[in-house]
Amino acid sequence: MSGFRLHGSRVLAVDLAGDAVKAKNGAMIAYEGEMSFKKLTGGGEGLRGMVTRRITGEAMAVMEVRGTGTCYFADRATEINLVRLTGEKLWVEASNLLATDAALRTATAFTGLRGAAQGNGLFTTTVEGTGQAAILSEGPAVVLRVTPATPLVVDPGAYVAHTGRLNQQFQSGASWRTLMGEGSGESVQLRFEGDGLVYVQPSERWGHPRRSQGEIGGQV
Amino acid sequence: MPFTRINPTMVEARITSGQRVFSQRGAMLAYRGRVSFTPSITGGQGGLGSMIGRRLAGEAAPLMTSEGEGTVLFGHGGHHVHTVDLTGDTLYVEADRLLAFDGSLRQGTMFMGSQGGVMGVLRGQATGQGLFTTTLAGHGSVAFLAHGGVVELPVVPGRTVHVDPQAYAAHRGDLRSRLSTAIGWRELVGRGSGEAFQLELSGQGTVYVQASEEKL
Repeated sequence: MSGFRLHGSRVLAVDLAGDAVKAKNGAMIAYEGEMSFKKLTGGGEGLRGMVTRRITGEAMAVMEVRGTGTCYFADRATEINLVRLTGEKLWVEASNLLATDAALRTATAFTGLRGAAQGNGLFTTTVEGTGQAAILSEGPAVVLRVTPATPLVVDPGAYVAHTGRLNQQFQSGASWRTLMGEGSGESVQLRFEGDGLVYVQPSERWGHPRRSQGEIGGQV
Repeated sequence: MPFTRINPTMVEARITSGQRVFSQRGAMLAYRGRVSFTPSITGGQGGLGSMIGRRLAGEAAPLMTSEGEGTVLFGHGGHHVHTVDLTGDTLYVEADRLLAFDGSLRQGTMFMGSQGGVMGVLRGQATGQGLFTTTLAGHGSVAFLAHGGVVELPVVPGRTVHVDPQAYAAHRGDLRSRLSTAIGWRELVGRGSGEAFQLELSGQGTVYVQASEEKL
């Protein structure tokens, strides 16, 4: 298993000893030692994964980095958060996933209305297995715990990822005020119930490349 | 006279009489004391000859000098600032990344082609850095800009470091840089990993890599 380390908060260093790591295409900024880079078509999930990703719009340009030494990754100076998975599942947007251990399995999952509200599409990426993953957030993310007694409501634009057994529900606080154009800007919310962790970023995806595709949740 | 980092994006320079600090024109944010700012027509040190050299090399970033007595705050565009204290060695940095530097440092322009010949020239083209770079040598401090801050990677003989050309910010010491390519059939059919060109640095020194692939 490769070792993930953070160099500051915006650079990820991965120590490799002959093993491999999957990372966002083109995210390498430097390396020491011997490395080879190979693009994985369809996120490394085979032909079926490739087709699924095309259809669901969770297209993920992923490369496989293999070698010995240390490889450094960064993406547009955004903050990096490390998540250690021990058998559980991580739900994250493909655009927020920087790198995963090669031992982790990635797949696509249907999220329902949440994605549409967020302008992210109806599907999301799941990461499963044992190992480490690095996720990106605009600004340092906070990790909020959800317990059965304390559900959590998140702005869809500030949601980054979640782990654990959580039920997500799309909740609308729109009222006649919103219709009059006097909304508080918080009419669309995401409610998490159950047991798990939610990663929230201090930004609401403004200027995010994928934002422009759907502005439904942004304006109401 | 070292620069003091106030926060990740601002540095404070202390100026005493008889000393000069060169900085990017317009990079002053605030100052205390009696400090005068004059645009440096020649774009830095040396006489007319150096100025023409820089103009020709495209390394003539508009500079100004700060003189007098007091403290000056410098910053630019909210970019992260990194400070380096030189003790007799040389820093290689692009002119547009330079935020401020001590007047005591010797400023020069270096032809990339002199390092690595044709590949050196190619390297400048491929990385969009041009054929020339600015060098600063001597004793003093330098503050340069990087998007998202930098990591310092030491380079020692026998341990080469490869850097994405877009993420390369600066380097110091006795380093040889070479453009290495890893172009395979995948790149030719448009299925590249995005890492076809790499800067290979070997020798003895330090390379500064920024946490982003955006040019300033």
